[in-house]
Amino acid sequence: MKKASIIVLVLLGTVAMLFAQAAKEQAVSEVPVEFSMYYSDNATLPFKDSWLTVQETAKIANATVHYEAIPIADYSTKVSLALNTQTNAPDVILYQTTAGENQSLALNGAIVPISDYSEWTPNFNAMVEKYNMQSDINKIRLGDGKYYYLPSLTDVPFYDGGIILRQDYLEKKGLAAPKTYDDLYKILKAYKADNPTSYPLTILAGPRVLYRMTMPAFGVSLGRNGSGGSRVLSWDYEKLEFFEGAISEEFKAYISFFAKLYKEGLLDPEMAEPIDGGTWSRKMATGASMATWAYYDQIGGVTAASEIEGFKLQMYPALEGPAGAHHQQKNRLGSGIMFPTKTTKRSDFEQIVRAVDKMFFSEECSKIWCIGVKGVTYTEENGKIKYSDEIMNASEGIYKYMQLAYGCGSDVTQMVWVNAREMTKYDENYAAINAAVEAIGDVIQYIPPTPKFDDLKAEEAGMLLTPLADKFEVWCDAFLTGKKSIDKDWDTYVKEMKSIGIEKFCTLYNANL
Amino acid sequence: MAKVKDTSISSRIFDVMIWLVMAFMLIICVVPFVYMIALSLSSAKAIINGKVSFWPVELNLEAYSKIFTYPNFFRAYGNTIFYTVVGTAIALVMTILFAYPLSKSYLKGHGFFTKVVIFSMYFSGGLIPNYLLISSIGLTGTRWAIILPFAISQFNLIILINFFKALPTEIEEAALIDGIGYFGILPRIILPLSTAAIATIGLYYAVFFWNDWFNGLIYLNTPQYPVMLFLRNIVNGTMVVGNASSASADTAMLGISTKSAVIITSTLPIIILYPFLQKYFVKGLTVGSVKG
Repeated sequence: MKKASIIVLVLLGTVAMLFAQAAKEQAVSEVPVEFSMYYSDNATLPFKDSWLTVQETAKIANATVHYEAIPIADYSTKVSLALNTQTNAPDVILYQTTAGENQSLALNGAIVPISDYSEWTPNFNAMVEKYNMQSDINKIRLGDGKYYYLPSLTDVPFYDGGIILRQDYLEKKGLAAPKTYDDLYKILKAYKADNPTSYPLTILAGPRVLYRMTMPAFGVSLGRNGSGGSRVLSWDYEKLEFFEGAISEEFKAYISFFAKLYKEGLLDPEMAEPIDGGTWSRKMATGASMATWAYYDQIGGVTAASEIEGFKLQMYPALEGPAGAHHQQKNRLGSGIMFPTKTTKRSDFEQIVRAVDKMFFSEECSKIWCIGVKGVTYTEENGKIKYSDEIMNASEGIYKYMQLAYGCGSDVTQMVWVNAREMTKYDENYAAINAAVEAIGDVIQYIPPTPKFDDLKAEEAGMLLTPLADKFEVWCDAFLTGKKSIDKDWDTYVKEMKSIGIEKFCTLYNANL
Repeated sequence: MAKVKDTSISSRIFDVMIWLVMAFMLIICVVPFVYMIALSLSSAKAIINGKVSFWPVELNLEAYSKIFTYPNFFRAYGNTIFYTVVGTAIALVMTILFAYPLSKSYLKGHGFFTKVVIFSMYFSGGLIPNYLLISSIGLTGTRWAIILPFAISQFNLIILINFFKALPTEIEEAALIDGIGYFGILPRIILPLSTAAIATIGLYYAVFFWNDWFNGLIYLNTPQYPVMLFLRNIVNGTMVVGNASSASADTAMLGISTKSAVIITSTLPIIILYPFLQKYFVKGLTVGSVKG
């Protein structure tokens, strides 16, 4: 009897505790919370307080959010100052990772180790579990085993940019869609023969866009936008370790191919300088170029503006190189949300974290950030999303219109990217290209892991990296443009890179994985 | 007395050469503006097809009307006007008040303060110490953060000191004899004689406050941002194409006509100031440079 009473009492106690906890959580979310937040503002998508997404998610999280829209070009400077000084810092910072300076700031206590408060981020945890991303999360843990930001989550990365060609030209000449880099070479050669003054292949922005989109097909990923941030190392996807990509045979094959294009007048020589969007559009629309690496949503405007009869641009699946058909690497995790340590001093810190978690990672809100509010932007019939006529008929396309009008689909605020849901915002052609890419398999490889350096190691790596990256940029440019001969000068280049420590740098990376 | 006109052939050739060089310089300066104006008034289609040179093609005001849709443009514009007007006024007062005593070498501490000015001209605390200083005096996040710390520019101060030094001391002595005290001499005697120098450094200050974006970025909050920060975002921000870790296809470009319209709208007011102050400009610069 006594034993039974004890068991009943223990059970009652446990139930009471559970209720109390639930009531506490309920109470926490019911109390309105007010906080400030840095937002990286892009001129192509100027931030508006009045966006439906901003209003609705704040209402659901019961929060008053003061968005600080900071120009994207200077965002890192502003964030760096806020984190370094902690004065005038916001409570929450969007669009951040712990790469670069942030790693050292995190280890020195300037950023909240949000993994220590995981019980306050139930929605984030649920999404990580739902999409089986625990191992991805482990990759963003720093040397102390903690993670310092809530990253954006993508279930299946998609092919949003790639090789774009004049489809009308291919059809006119009876050329097949390219599958390999050799096919591309033949197409460019044919176009050059027909249009001797043209430079058939151009790129948007600087060479970094070309490099990051094409190098993986040759087995390397180097330079300023090289995945992994090591700039001169690449990841061996079989051995699961870094190798000295900048002095590898893979890079030699890569740069030889593009140097050949350059020498034969097939590659736009202006690519050394950033080619801005307007110039790029003009080159493509006037036929000065016929091939490019760019993003899918950029081709619509060019097609509409061109006065060439029958002009049509098409994006094709990734081309096959010596290492297979690969495109720019992507992670399932992207930039995310960070809390400066200053925020922990607020008495309502828990509420802020819970509100942020709800605003960006709950099922309800993550859907709003992607496709807006049911009944306003879309309706659902048999589980199929149907957008309003206004959206369907928008001249900018569904995706861009929803961004501008409602704030949907912004890299900065959308934290959960579900491939199938995203595809509802694109045309059938885009979905077909993505399906073709998926059929090839493993086109988009994961970004190599970031080494878990402590402060001293990070400094040592930084000191080795700067001269290595500079030398690589100079030589890469010289090889491409023919100022240096790949056949004759390659050994000198390798020797120079070794003399300033590329092997030591690689060992340091591999020892800290 | 009639001017003697040199009519020799060599002189005429020299004149023609001067005119040609000046015309060339003028073209170099004016062409970018004309091109920008033409772009801002042309249709996107004409620009993409490379039809626009120095005259608008398919004339339209779409780019200018688009600026109105940017939520922060006019607020930023108003902020910049405030910073320029108030900042220049405060900067002139502060610089004059500092320059006048420093122009009197017989005053105690003259050498010390001059050295402090020169030293701070070459060595500064750096970004983070400056930021901490301005934060600790409570200016960060207020409009004064980009006005007060920049109220005295050493370069302008030295111009004004030299200008004041060049004024004959006899005038001040006469004023003293006539009964104007030391505090009356500056506003009633010195300043009326210094309009050229003041107009010159006033223009320098106005241009500085109008063009400044970096201080606005680090010390101010969004509602207080100047228009140049907005302009920078329009022109440079869109160059950040396709973030490597980007998940979306948010890489659309902004029309060249819109960029041009923003550039024209945000730079024109300060350019217009030049012709009005030109007559003071050269005089102000050269007068301060010679003492004696």
